[in-house]
This record gives sequence, C-alpha cells and structure tokens, in this order.
Amino acid sequence: MPIVVNLDVMMAKRKMSLNELSEKVDLTLANLSILKTGKAKAVRFSTLEAICKALDCQPGDILEYKKEE
Amino acid sequence: MKISTKQILKLLYILSWIIFVGVCIEAGGSIFSAFYTLVINPINAATFWAGNDLSALYKYDPGHFFGETLLISIASVMKACIFYLVIKILHDKKLNMSQPFSSEVRLFIIKVSCLTFGIAFFTEWGVKYTEWLVRQGVKMPDTQHLRLGGADVWLFMSVTLFVIAQIFKRGIEIQTENELTV
Repeated sequence: MPIVVNLDVMMAKRKMSLNELSEKVDLTLANLSILKTGKAKAVRFSTLEAICKALDCQPGDILEYKKEE
Repeated sequence: MKISTKQILKLLYILSWIIFVGVCIEAGGSIFSAFYTLVINPINAATFWAGNDLSALYKYDPGHFFGETLLISIASVMKACIFYLVIKILHDKKLNMSQPFSSEVRLFIIKVSCLTFGIAFFTEWGVKYTEWLVRQGVKMPDTQHLRLGGADVWLFMSVTLFVIAQIFKRGIEIQTENELTV
C-alpha cells in the first residue's frame, strides 16, 4: 500500500513505548501493533487524534504517501 | 425463555444428523436394491426401494433399469453429501456468530450450491428419462415416488445459495476491513 505508517519513528523520537502509548490512547496492544506494522486498512479520526495528542505531532508525521514502483 | 443462537445451532445439528441418517439409508437402499436386482435376483425389481415397482422397466430393458436407478442413486447420494457438509460445519464449529463471514462458510455455501445444482440436473434428467420411458409404453411409478421430483426447487435453491456465496465474498472483505480498522 502506498500509505506508510511512521508510528514507530515518532514513538522513537518521543521515546515512548508501545505499552505507554497504548495506555495513553486507550487502544489495545494488538490494534496498535496492526497500525505500527502497516497491516491496518483504515484509521479512525478519533484514533489519529488520540495518537497525535499523545505523541504531540501532526497526522502527516505519522502517515506518509509513497508512490508505488 | 429466550432461545439463544447456540441452542438453535445445537438443535439444527441434531436434526441434521437425523436427516443425514435418513438420506444415507435411502441412498444406500436404492443403490443396494439396484445392485441386487441387476446382479443377484431380478424379481427384486417389483419391490424396488420404497415400494416402487420397476419390474416393467426391468422387463423392457435391464440397461434402462440401470440408467434410471443410477440417476435415482446419484441424486440420493448428493442429498446425503449436503447433510454431511451441514453436519461437518456444525461439528467443526466453523459458524462463528460474532464474525460470521469466513472463507470456510463461503466454501460450504458454494459446495452446497454445486451439490444442489447437481441434484437439480440429475433429477430433471431422471424426470425426462422417465417421461421418455412412459412414451415407449413402459409402466413407471410417479417421479415423486422415485425421489426425482422438485428439480426446479433444487435449481432455485442452487441459484439462491450461489448469490448468497457472492454476498459472503463481499462480507468477508468488509469484515476483514473492519477488523483491520484501528
């Protein structure tokens, strides 16, 4: 998929673990893992809002469009 | 008292077993009866399975007797196969009501659809064959008694199940998408 999730990069920048983020955004570890590994088919605005709030970033910092080759 | 889905499925499982045993006896009975008549004792044609008198057909031509009983047997075996599939899916607990759209259930519906189409084909063939034999002057029992009736119903069921299988295909996609929505 041409949409790349850079959640792990932002988490590393903020020095935040998956467990910590999971508690802050009120999402299960399994769902966060789906998002982090790029397996997710869709992201709810509410989830994106919670992640941006917890990581103090913009949606563009987490999601990136890359052309398929 | 509220009846849960689990209880309904349990009841369906028991019913399916009873019907499966019944259709197996019917299939086995017609196959054995045909074999017994053709190989051991031709008099048995007068009391063919379920009391149908096929002695006139046997006297007319044992080859046509074989053809007619073959069509009856194929339809009976296919009916037994349908109930085997129903029992199998209920026994393996592949029906998950919280996530009902699965590839196993879709495959089950497609298989049943194919089998019902097969039954429709062979029963219709059997009916036409019987009609042809009657036109040749052979005294034949009613096609309903020969378990060859209702080809149109089987065909309708087959088409309906095929449409449901297509809906299931889209359902699986939507369910997967929903599961992977964070």
